[in-house]
This record gives sequence, C-alpha cells and structure tokens, in this order.
Amino acid sequence: MTDSEIIGLILQGDRDKFRILVEKYQQMVFHTCMGFVHNRDDADDLTQDVLIQAYQSLHAFKGAASFSTWIYRIAINASLNKVRKSTGNHILQRLDILFGAGKEKEIALPLLDAENPENILIRQEHKDWVKKALDSLPEKQRTAIVLSNYDDLSQKEIAEIMDTTEGAVEALIQRAKSNLRKKLTSSHK
Amino acid sequence: MNCQLCQKELDAYCEGRSPADTRTQVETHLGVCKKCAESFKLQTLAERIIKKEKELLPNPFLQTRIMAQIENLEAVRNRAIPTYMQVLRPAIMATSLAAAIFFGVMMGSYYKPAGRGTTIPIELALIDDAAIESVDILSNE
Repeated sequence: MTDSEIIGLILQGDRDKFRILVEKYQQMVFHTCMGFVHNRDDADDLTQDVLIQAYQSLHAFKGAASFSTWIYRIAINASLNKVRKSTGNHILQRLDILFGAGKEKEIALPLLDAENPENILIRQEHKDWVKKALDSLPEKQRTAIVLSNYDDLSQKEIAEIMDTTEGAVEALIQRAKSNLRKKLTSSHK
Repeated sequence: MNCQLCQKELDAYCEGRSPADTRTQVETHLGVCKKCAESFKLQTLAERIIKKEKELLPNPFLQTRIMAQIENLEAVRNRAIPTYMQVLRPAIMATSLAAAIFFGVMMGSYYKPAGRGTTIPIELALIDDAAIESVDILSNE
C-alpha cells in the first residue's frame, strides 16, 4: 500500500492504519531530531510530538510533495522550535554571567595526542564540544548538515525538503562544514 | 599542497572520494603540517560522534505511546455535545444574563432612600445650634 492509500484510509476513519506510517517513519524522524537536540530522551519526545502533529494535520496533506518530505519539514520545524526555546534559556544564563551572577563552566577539551583519531576514546566532553559547534551554525546550515549527515539524504532530496535548489544545498553544506571546522579548531586552542 | 588546498580537500579525503594522487598529497601535507593534522583529527572525532548518535534507536515503546495518545485525542473529539444542547446552552446563558440585568434595573428603580423612623422630640427641634446658650441655664440658681 502506498502512503497516499494509507492516508486515504486513515481519513476515512481507520486510524489504526496510522501505525504503519509510524513504524515506517519513526526512525527517520528520530534521527532528524537527534541531529538537533543530541539527546535521546528529547529526541524521543520530539518524535512523538512530530508524529502526533502529522496525524492531526493529515487532512491538510495535499500530496504535492511526498509524505516523507512533508514529515521531514514538520520534524525540522519542531526541532528548530525546541532549540530556539532552549536558546532562550541559554540567553538568560548568559545574562546572568554578564552581570556576574555566575561563571560559565568552560568545557575542558581533551588533548588529542593519540596519533590515530580512531583510538581516541569518546568522552562526554567530546560530545558536548561537538554539540556546541553544531549548535553555533545558522539554522539553514544546521538543517542542511543534519539532513546530510544524520539522514544520509542526497542533495536533491535535501533541496526538496528545504524548498531550494541543489546548488544552494551544496553551498550550505560546504559553508556548514567549513564553519564547523573553524569552530572545532578555534575551541580546541 | 598548501593548507588552503588541504582544507578544501579534507572532506573528500575523509569520505574516501579523493582521487589517488590528491589523497597522497593530502596525506603528505598532514604528515608535515601540525595545524592541518589537528584539524583532521578534530573533524574525524566529530564524525565519529555523529556516527554514534546515528546508531541510536528510538524508544521501542514509542509506537505504543503514539497510538495511545491518538486514541485519547479521538475519545475527546468524539465526546460530542448533543445538537439540542448546542443550541439550548447558549440560549439559556443569554436568557439568564438578560434576566439578571432586568432584575438589577428593576431593583434600582424601586430604590428609595431610607426615611427616619421616629419623629424628632420638641426639645431638640427648638434647639438653635447657631445661638450661644447662656451659662445660667446650667446653674442651679
């Protein structure tokens, strides 16, 4: 059964058919959300919210784009909203720091003295440091890099989701990688 | 190969897309340039971390939770109010409001300030507050 056929049945009242869509897309949505929030519990909650939102908005799905494209857009919007909310909290924390209420905890970056980077043990500090670097990217660059690295989508698929051209996606990914490299290198000094 | 070119080729090199001669040049440069070597290590570490995050799976009970929440949403939606109540309830509320306003206006129109219940004694009526009383009144003589 195609996605359109399943959606048709759901809209006619057979809501149990939505289970098929959930099974098919939950991992994809989870990985997308993971690329933004980097936390398994938050990604689980976001995935649930995205799929519920998709169910409630099924009547609005016109079929102009594929269902997967539509779900990706919902997932990206939900993830960006979540990140913006938590950024707001961070801004308040930074105001505290500015007015001397607290000192920001510096993440101690590890010494990468092992010759082979494959041998470096991944610690929580590494994850926090990569998360910070990814979070510092502008939204469009972050979206492009998440769809490319976490969802392994082609530039054509990313362009369809982001409603832009393949050339623009390529440029976004290049800039994102360059910015990431600069951020990683500068924070390691 | 200089640093700028190496940085440009680093992504393709990491992904194994570089042609053989470019790969050799990158490897040679990484062997002599500390800055590019560091950048390469950091990038590889970041990619490993991203790969680890990708390997995570969603909660196995997520599907059950979603379907349960959908059932709840449908139950709330289906708790339909009968048609006659959809008309009657607003009508009753409007009528109650109109009656309350009418009753309030009626109560207001019948209001009279409270009159004095007792007549004033003649002694008090004759007292002239503006005049000064003679002290002799108060003496026993």
